[in-house]
Amino acid sequence: MTVHTASPQMKTAPPGRDASAPHPAVLALRALWARPAARKLLILAAAAAVLVPVAAATHGSGTWPSAFTVDLTKPLTGASDWIIDNRDSHWAFLYFFGHVSGAIIGAVHAVYTVLLALGWAGVTAAAALLAWRVAGARVAVIALASFAACGLLGMWVPTMRTLALMIVAVAVSVAVGALLGLAAGLSDRTFRALRPVLDTMQALPAFAYLLPVVLVFGIGVAPAVLATVVYAAPPMARLTALGLRSTDRGVLEAVESLGATGRQRLLTARLPLARRELLLGVNQTIMMALSMAVIASVIGADGLGDRVYQALSTVDVGSALAAGIPIVLLAIVLDRTTAGAASPSPRRLWAGVPQAGGTPGRRLGEGGHNQRRARTRRTTAWLAALAAVATAALATGDKPWPDTWTVAIAAPVNDAKDWMVDHLYTGLPGIGGTADLAAHYTTWVLDPLRDGLQALPWWGALLLVAALAWLIGTWRTALTAVLSLAAIGVLGRWELSMDTLSQVVAAVAVTLVLGFAIAVPAARSPRVERLLRPVLDVFQTMPQFVYLIPVVALFGVGRAPAAAAAIVYALPAVVRIASEGLRRVNPGAMESARSLGATGGQQLRQVQFPLARPQLLLAVNQAVVLVLSVVIIGGLVGGGALGYEVVFGLAQGDLATGLTAGVAIACLGLMLDRVTQPTKGARDGA
Amino acid sequence: MSGNNAGTGAPAVFSVRNLWKVFGPKADRVPGSELAALSPEELREQTGCTVAVRDVSFDVRQGEVFVVMGLSGSGKSTLVRCLTRLIEPTSGTIAIDGEDVCGMDKGALRDLRRHRAAMVFQHFGLLPHRSVLDNVAYGLEIQGVGKAERRAKAAEMVEKVGLAGLEDRRPGQLSGGQQQRVGLARALAADPEVLLFDEPFSALDPLIRRDMQEEVVRLHRDEGRTMVFITHDLSEALRLGDRIALMRGGRVVQCGTPEEIVGSPADDYVRDFVRDVPREQVLTVRRAMRPAAADESETGESLDPTTTVAEAIETVARTGTPARVIEGGRCVGVVDHRSLLGVVAGLDAGPAGERTAA
Repeated sequence: MTVHTASPQMKTAPPGRDASAPHPAVLALRALWARPAARKLLILAAAAAVLVPVAAATHGSGTWPSAFTVDLTKPLTGASDWIIDNRDSHWAFLYFFGHVSGAIIGAVHAVYTVLLALGWAGVTAAAALLAWRVAGARVAVIALASFAACGLLGMWVPTMRTLALMIVAVAVSVAVGALLGLAAGLSDRTFRALRPVLDTMQALPAFAYLLPVVLVFGIGVAPAVLATVVYAAPPMARLTALGLRSTDRGVLEAVESLGATGRQRLLTARLPLARRELLLGVNQTIMMALSMAVIASVIGADGLGDRVYQALSTVDVGSALAAGIPIVLLAIVLDRTTAGAASPSPRRLWAGVPQAGGTPGRRLGEGGHNQRRARTRRTTAWLAALAAVATAALATGDKPWPDTWTVAIAAPVNDAKDWMVDHLYTGLPGIGGTADLAAHYTTWVLDPLRDGLQALPWWGALLLVAALAWLIGTWRTALTAVLSLAAIGVLGRWELSMDTLSQVVAAVAVTLVLGFAIAVPAARSPRVERLLRPVLDVFQTMPQFVYLIPVVALFGVGRAPAAAAAIVYALPAVVRIASEGLRRVNPGAMESARSLGATGGQQLRQVQFPLARPQLLLAVNQAVVLVLSVVIIGGLVGGGALGYEVVFGLAQGDLATGLTAGVAIACLGLMLDRVTQPTKGARDGA
Repeated sequence: MSGNNAGTGAPAVFSVRNLWKVFGPKADRVPGSELAALSPEELREQTGCTVAVRDVSFDVRQGEVFVVMGLSGSGKSTLVRCLTRLIEPTSGTIAIDGEDVCGMDKGALRDLRRHRAAMVFQHFGLLPHRSVLDNVAYGLEIQGVGKAERRAKAAEMVEKVGLAGLEDRRPGQLSGGQQQRVGLARALAADPEVLLFDEPFSALDPLIRRDMQEEVVRLHRDEGRTMVFITHDLSEALRLGDRIALMRGGRVVQCGTPEEIVGSPADDYVRDFVRDVPREQVLTVRRAMRPAAADESETGESLDPTTTVAEAIETVARTGTPARVIEGGRCVGVVDHRSLLGVVAGLDAGPAGERTAA
């Protein structure tokens, strides 16, 4: 903020020569007033000049004043105790939550039983066939190999458990999301009401969703599924609404001119035209669900996530990796399959070049018939193949996966990790070791930053946030941001939040430097872009949780590995958004700059950066949101701060601590999102 | 040029009276009040409203091609949408075959759109996920016609607009002209009483546009269906229209036959508008002829009164003598070099009353 306020003050007005002219200072003020950014800062400075002395005099300039905190521990503990006491007797639990939980557990169990009954051969074949049907042979091969790998790693049963939980959670998420999206797509008022909620939900870290469901449902599969649904349904709702709302006006008008009823319009025009968005929504929901289903292991979802969680808590990198690889494979298979379903949609054909020639050929008509017949034949073949595979699966016996077919990678991986600990951790000539790096990062970057933030007067932090949010957004976003930060103080989580914030800020800075450094060459050279794309694709599909495994192997535990995981997790999104923004800069503007003889650097500075500003700001926003989500999860590997509070609260059954920390996380997420949120429309495409 | 089967005495299909469409807040206070007298800028400033259609009245007669023509923003597209209430009119009355359209409930309105008035759109409005055949059959599907029947009917329409063989293509695989043929076939499939065209050929290349215009002329000649045709292209309007309503700023500034519009512009705006029209191709000898002198009514080539001046010039140039204009076996006048050239040069321009009564 000091930087911002300093620059306008340094501006001096030209000395007034004419006596009748207004005073130079007045002129300067007027010039300042004409600039919106300066105007906002001036208003803020005026408000601060009045309020800050009062606040500082009455409540000091240290951390959040205790007079403003509300201790929620007692009521929350009371509520939690009450729920535990009454879970078996109160009508709300007996007749509502009990049934919800029972239905979920029943559904997950049923799916799990079916998966086991299908056997390894049946599941693998079914997955491959499904992938082939919707996304082509290549994805089918990937699916086949991935499921085989899951079995080979000895993770067949956990994989099936995760899959069963996922299937139920995705089904519910898609249903809920589609219904909400339908409502928002058809009614403007619902859309306006729902949109900020969905926006906010997407900015919150996954960890924030865990505690409330635990409070009501306890630990187990049911709350895990519910947390997953809450986390995964928003993208479906968002994209459904977007798809329905973006229907071509001309088509809708034509449909109406033919006398269609509202229902006909929806079923024959709006939904089919939104097909791509709907499938994209399913894809995103599945990816979010997988990511959450793994994290939900901390509230009792068993399966792959649980294996990783258990292994990480004893720093058993080998076992964590054995469970982590199936997660990655599952993510890739699910993503490619659903993305494949979305992409070869007829829309690709619609956009195609019109076929030349108006002369009608007879062959096409017959072709249609042949196509239909071929399709019927193919369907029959699929069904036959599926039946054959299923019988084969049943014949293989009731073992989920043959024991002899597994490869134990945990021991060799741990050996490798030990070798790394011995050789890479420290004392490498010149660059030091990874542990050295981590220690330096902690002592030279994180610690000063944290101490600085914690030493910042509370009103200073509020003012800083207000200034940042207002400069980038509107007074509304500034207000939300300030209120969120204040809420953290009120909850009594100020110090911890500043700790988390320091980790986020440092990691975001590193992410942005690296991200833009990669994005610029990627935007300028098609070859770099081609090389990067598959890497980014894979990295972007992996659930957050998985990133903890390699960083623990490399850096041990602490705040530095959490930061490393966060950087690696956020980097692909930043690179992608930034490079796309730079590349899509109006070619006309670029051409005219080139024609004027601008050098590459000048083009970048004077044309590409300014024109791509909305995209670059979006990249910053995404970096902040994604880094925060992993920094919080970093509580599992020694990141401390708010994330650890949640884990601690869950582990100790101290829900009051966990819940307040969860709310503080949500507030922090909201604040960070609002501070970096450029414009209302910029996030539409995401 | 188009078929002249629209007798002036034919009953009106659409009858529009004092139609207003005002966009903006509390739009219904504008028509009929003193606000209506304000200029568009003043009105927007005072009320935030924009007038798209301003006190328009006309009849569309059975079997005619009624062209509404004007530049963009003149309100013509809004006007045609008001006819089937795709846009709700602010005030005024619309009647189809004497039935009040504005008073129709949802069901009746749907019925009107399904069976009596079908529309063809500038940007086609096809469903991209359906084949050509299913797009053409779509209107029938909405009406609840069985699959076999609607497909048979659609196939017939596809054939009629010259797209046979492309039934299984998707709209995206067709050229613009072909897509508009699909749009036309879709409108025809419901066998509507009136076809409404909203700048249907504006998005097409000039040559294809010409083709499509001829297609419309052919359809009209074969079926005699009533058509309301919106265009901003004067030559299209002159080629297709039996009568033309010229719009400006939401008002109809002149309504008449192509010959009336070109020959007797109602005001300077219209005159300016039609200045570059080759008059000899629109005006007929009826306008060019002078009373026959005593010896002229018996000899010379004979011409029909609907002959254009261009055709008459050819005749007169070939023979070198004045030609007679014969109507009902009687000589009503003669045209010679001088009178024909006078029309081409625009020297004849004068009030409509000066013309010989038909």
